[in-house]
Amino acid sequence: MDDKKQIKRREFINTGVRIGIGVGLGAIGVVLSTRTLSGKSVWQIDPAKCVQCGKCATSCVLEQSAVKCVHVIEMCGYCDLCGGYLRPETKELNTAAESQLCPTAAIARKFVEEPFFEYHIIEELCIGCGKCVKGCGAFGNGSLQLQVQHKLCVNCNQCAIARVCPSEAFSRVPATAPYLLKGFENKK
Amino acid sequence: MFKNIDIKNLGSDRLWSRIALVSGIFALLICVLLIANYIQIKKADPVNMKVINSLVERLNQDPTDSKLREEIRSLDLLSRKAYFTTKWQIRTGGYMALLAIGIMVIALQIISYRRRIIPQVPKENDDNTMLFQKKARTWIVGGGSIILATAILFAILATNELKDNLSGKTISQETGSPNSDITAKVNDSVISDTSSLNQTAADTAVSSVDQTAPVVADSKDNFPTFRGPGGNGIATQKNIPVSWNGASGANILWKTSIPLPGFSSPVVWGDKVFVTGANATKREVYGFDRLTGKILWTVAVENVPGTPAQGPKVSSETGYAAPTAATDGVGVYAIFSNGDLIALDMNGKKLWAQNLGAPGNHYGHSSSLMLYKDMLIIQYDQKTSPKLMAISVKTGKLVWSTIRPVKISWASPVIVNTGKRTEIILAAEPYVASYNPTNGQELWKIDCISGEVGPSVAYANGMVFSVNDYSKLAAIKIGAQPSILWENTDYLSDIPSPVATDKYVFLSTSYGLAVCYDAVSGEKYWEKEFGNSVFSSPMIVEGKVYLLDRTGIMHIFKADKEYKSLSDPDLGEKSACTPAFTNGKIYIRGDKNLYCIGK
Amino acid sequence: MNKNARVAILIIFTSLLVFNIFGIQRFPKPEFESGYSQPETQVPSPRGAIFEYLDLAVFIGCLSLISWLVIKKRSRKGVFWLSIFSLLYFGFYRKGCICPVGSLQNISMALFNPEYSLPITAIAFFVLPLGFTLFFGRTFCAGVCPLGAIQDIFAFRPVSLKSWVQSLLGLIPFIYLGLAVLFAATGTDFIVCRYDPFVGFFRHNASFMMFAIGGILLLISVFIARPYCRFLCPYGVLLNLVSRFSKKHLSIAPSKCISCRLCEDACPFGAIDKPTGAKNKEQSNVLVKRLILYCLITPLLMGVCGWTASKYHESFAKVNFKVRLANEIMLSAKTETAQPALEVTTFRASGKAVEKLYAEAARIVDRFYIGSWFLGGFIGLVFGLTLARFTLVQYRTEYTTNKGTCFSCARCVDYCPVKE
Repeated sequence: MDDKKQIKRREFINTGVRIGIGVGLGAIGVVLSTRTLSGKSVWQIDPAKCVQCGKCATSCVLEQSAVKCVHVIEMCGYCDLCGGYLRPETKELNTAAESQLCPTAAIARKFVEEPFFEYHIIEELCIGCGKCVKGCGAFGNGSLQLQVQHKLCVNCNQCAIARVCPSEAFSRVPATAPYLLKGFENKK
Repeated sequence: MFKNIDIKNLGSDRLWSRIALVSGIFALLICVLLIANYIQIKKADPVNMKVINSLVERLNQDPTDSKLREEIRSLDLLSRKAYFTTKWQIRTGGYMALLAIGIMVIALQIISYRRRIIPQVPKENDDNTMLFQKKARTWIVGGGSIILATAILFAILATNELKDNLSGKTISQETGSPNSDITAKVNDSVISDTSSLNQTAADTAVSSVDQTAPVVADSKDNFPTFRGPGGNGIATQKNIPVSWNGASGANILWKTSIPLPGFSSPVVWGDKVFVTGANATKREVYGFDRLTGKILWTVAVENVPGTPAQGPKVSSETGYAAPTAATDGVGVYAIFSNGDLIALDMNGKKLWAQNLGAPGNHYGHSSSLMLYKDMLIIQYDQKTSPKLMAISVKTGKLVWSTIRPVKISWASPVIVNTGKRTEIILAAEPYVASYNPTNGQELWKIDCISGEVGPSVAYANGMVFSVNDYSKLAAIKIGAQPSILWENTDYLSDIPSPVATDKYVFLSTSYGLAVCYDAVSGEKYWEKEFGNSVFSSPMIVEGKVYLLDRTGIMHIFKADKEYKSLSDPDLGEKSACTPAFTNGKIYIRGDKNLYCIGK
Repeated sequence: MNKNARVAILIIFTSLLVFNIFGIQRFPKPEFESGYSQPETQVPSPRGAIFEYLDLAVFIGCLSLISWLVIKKRSRKGVFWLSIFSLLYFGFYRKGCICPVGSLQNISMALFNPEYSLPITAIAFFVLPLGFTLFFGRTFCAGVCPLGAIQDIFAFRPVSLKSWVQSLLGLIPFIYLGLAVLFAATGTDFIVCRYDPFVGFFRHNASFMMFAIGGILLLISVFIARPYCRFLCPYGVLLNLVSRFSKKHLSIAPSKCISCRLCEDACPFGAIDKPTGAKNKEQSNVLVKRLILYCLITPLLMGVCGWTASKYHESFAKVNFKVRLANEIMLSAKTETAQPALEVTTFRASGKAVEKLYAEAARIVDRFYIGSWFLGGFIGLVFGLTLARFTLVQYRTEYTTNKGTCFSCARCVDYCPVKE
């Protein structure tokens, strides 16, 4: 008789606490759901803040960094003497190894007409070190920009590069406009 | 069960244990290789090969070395190959290890599944809940108190000053930092150097100003005097905006109207911007909040001992507040057309004030204050006894004074380090002269200028450039025996000062024509007519020339031998003042308002 | 562009004029004469938002299925295969992000930072497992959590830990949870995600250190089953507490336990409570005295722990980027000779007001001060309550699963001879 009473009391307490927890969880859910994002968000670099420190190449959780250089060709001046392609102080404007700035030779150039060249990034080779971005920004039009490639990015809860970025250039942006390129409109 | 039988029929236990063993060893091997690979990558990052970089540098010095060229190319190929191979190895190795471990786990799972036997009932049934609870309590109490005791010990030893420092920084800067030590030391040396020159200097040892002088943490981001530190027209700040629009308000961070007019330019220190304004009867100094543009304080300059009862006669193009104030983070120093000189602390409290004697000057005094260590350098080329003075910022007492037999001039001093020493360089008819800033001794002079000199000189790389209307532009190679390397009379200025880099000299005439010369040869590279008159002096910032014309349009072009316009943003208000810069921001005084421009 | 122009540019190039203004078309797009047409800039799109909801649907499906398998079907085999599926889907396919363990940080950040808005999936991933636990016990741990699954398949030779060792180590997750909430609530860092030991395996990518920790934990899990779940997982703390009040829970025997003792060694996690013999009953007045003592000590302990933790608030605060930056700027202003850190020079060049940064850093330090008081108080409370808990004896006559620590893996079910 006593035992049964005890069990009943325990059940009552259990039910009460359960309802309490349930209500609490519901409240958290409801309160926070008023503050949710309208859609999905992804990490992106603001090229205006980026200082090309080179940490993107090494800090990503992926072995092949999700940050790569994007060439906004609409902004390009097609210069022969490209600050993003050639090492500074280079004497000869050619494609030889001693003239190229990119450590992995990930920028290819194609002759268009005298004296213009078209540049494009070979994405498989680009490691996101930002050397070319620095060169282009300092001397050229700034058409080379570092961006998180969403084909590669696993969209970590807390981006490992954002944590070490010295200029706080990383932020979450809506997935509907996932790129922050200057001089180029997102299609979507 | 069907599945049960299925697995039972799948090979023998021995087979599966062998599979597990082999895949386990294989996985272990790959892991070891991956670790070795990792260590190798750590040791030599093939992408940032120092060797290649140094070889390229060597090649740049000797571009004809074809052997070296070949070496670089082969090394580059090798290192890139090595890099991508290692990356490939890591990727493939990772997948292989994963696969091997997966197989091992499956094999082991199958083995354990098949070996699963009905458990034996343990022999003794010692119900020792009580004992366990007691042990748990003992350990929690014991272990917990040891941890807590250690934590408390370190907590007592820990010093928490971060917060105080941070909040201290936000209100008033902390005391006793190295900057103020330096100031104190310099103060001493100046006194001993110059005590023979001036009796009053000895008195400066007894400073009336509190020694605990505030020092702004980020001293590089200030704009202490007219045309930047030293007054040479070059600012070191970064990220300066190139576009704005006064009409639409684009990039205009704030705009505040200045109560009294004046042609003095803004100066900036820490979180404050200072300008002066005056009319025939009133003279005022304003302290603005750098972030919001709010006027934090206004100080009326009155009851200054020795102020002449009658204000000076000035031309409308000079006004009553033409000289730019100076600030060193301790105080703000301002001079007006009647010779009033005042020192205020950063909060607008008067430190000292005096009158330098009514200037004999038919347009109005316009030379801006300069700072050297703890002295104000004042050009006072007036009708009677033209002189250059140094006044202690702390006490307002004269440290030294050098009489200059020159005509009245309106140029500001330029203080530059010419390599071995620091010099004050001044231009007035008939010569450009240099003075030792510690004692005012004349170091050199050269006759090359005439007329009513308005523009200050420009200095770069051992060369001084002086200019005046109806005179000439002269490039002076300085030294004990200064010489004129070249001169030119095509385009001359009577108000804007020239600016120079190691390679080029830029000059704007007051009718709005900018011209660029080779600094060494004097060869003219380009000229560009802007169409509007220019009173403001050009500034070189981040390799760009910022030239503000009288209508308020800023002409921004590359400091280069080819004229390349970057942009021409319009302030929308007339201006005759030289802009001030801090990182990311420009401060422009228009005729009525003070603007802060930034992104 | 003639040769002269090219030489001119070469000179500009070599004169090392470093400026970094953005978006200025210094060299306008040339007018091509050869009929060249400009290609378009290509950027890959991110994974569609619809997949996010697919993940959520799979998650809910898995939770429902596992609860059904555990409570109704009582099938160890089903739990095992579902856990393999979760490992492959949430682990290797979805790369371990987003998981409920990490979502607790998003939640606490959102609760304390009203300006932070979080995705609806984060709320769902946080609330749903707790909700299911409230009704069915920790079924989420059994077969949906990929972190649990990867350890579970390695549990080949589990040894049973002494229950007091287990209880002692079981205090670590509380401290971890407290720290995780502190750092997330101050908007500093997501330490649970950062030190997730297994996510590296899911992505085939991690730092060497994290791989090493993950590998060691997997090796340990051969002998001590699910070490992360039991002795580290901060989300497990919440599930543990909620599960104690669950409506239904996995039971070893489907009906009345016959105390055959066959299941005694069945649980690799030591989550089976044995019946207590009457002989061990201590005198109740001793127990009551002890309980009162602990209840009195607890507030004192909370105060002492809170004070101690508050003394460390600046060490905690220095994890925050802004505080660290402000500190470094302050230090570099004092010692001008040293080359300032990259962050400092970047900040200076950005033209932001240092005073604003200082003010913000001071505010964050303040929050850390309050937060570390709470953290210390929380740890003190946990220690006090744990002590009190070890004073109480629950009288049991059956072999039952411990509702708090049981992962509902259903291993014990196969050992029970009672089938109906």
